[in-house]
Amino acid sequence: MHIPPFSLFSAVSELFVTAGVFWVIHRNWTRRPFPLPLFLAVALFEAFVNVMYMASRSSAAASDHSIAPNLRIFFALHGMLSLLAYLVFVILGVLAYQDQKEGRYWFRDRPAVTWTFIVVWIISVGSGEALFVARYLLPS
Amino acid sequence: MNGARAQRLRAPLLLTFAALLAFEALGGLVLFYARLAYGLLPGERSHVLAGIPLALFYAAYLWQHWRRVSPIRARLDYALGLIAAASLAASLALGGALGWLWWRSRGSGEPPHYPEVVSAAHNISSMLVLTFVLAHLLAVLARDREPTAGRQRDS
Repeated sequence: MHIPPFSLFSAVSELFVTAGVFWVIHRNWTRRPFPLPLFLAVALFEAFVNVMYMASRSSAAASDHSIAPNLRIFFALHGMLSLLAYLVFVILGVLAYQDQKEGRYWFRDRPAVTWTFIVVWIISVGSGEALFVARYLLPS
Repeated sequence: MNGARAQRLRAPLLLTFAALLAFEALGGLVLFYARLAYGLLPGERSHVLAGIPLALFYAAYLWQHWRRVSPIRARLDYALGLIAAASLAASLALGGALGWLWWRSRGSGEPPHYPEVVSAAHNISSMLVLTFVLAHLLAVLARDREPTAGRQRDS
């Protein structure tokens, strides 16, 4: 099956974005300087490339009546989770940056929240990659 | 939180703006999910109509806010606030375009055809609004905790 270039780019870049997200957390966790440029780059790239891709695919799927009902619900849940994960990442990143200026390490000080966020992020990215595989790589 | 900021956060203009924004955000999320999952648009009329007072209150609030915090400074809370302001302006403009299509289709018996690009751009800009308004607010509140907060004015 033909894979649209933007779909392929988004699926691959999402893995690099995930690496960036985890790197930001890792630096904070290990009490090293906060990578503000990386955080801003990841936040903006995720918004203008991957979330834009998700939003445009969602809009297209909303008017595509050939998609199975269960897959539509999966699309919707993935979309909502992606938005939530992105929003939480930016908020936590800002809190971590502010705290780190005062010598506190937000992610390390709140392991339960940090690990919950990591799990949510992995589910969000994993569901997106699963949709990509189901749509383009598996035989229909 | 310092006293002046606490007073500003209770101002009627800001509270009305925040209430309208929350209503539109919640309604937009319901529309996003229901349209995609079930092909339904619950509360579409309320979402469109509430966008009008939201735009007016936003313009009034932004004008007041900008007069107090200008000029731009090289700080994270300013950068987040600028992204939030630009995102909300874009979201309202794109929402206005979609609302115009909804208005024109009234009484025709046919559901409005929303262009995918405009709909997607409205969704993403709305998501950016939620993200960066919250991030801006948290960054500003966090500054109050800094040791130098007492020597700094406005944000």
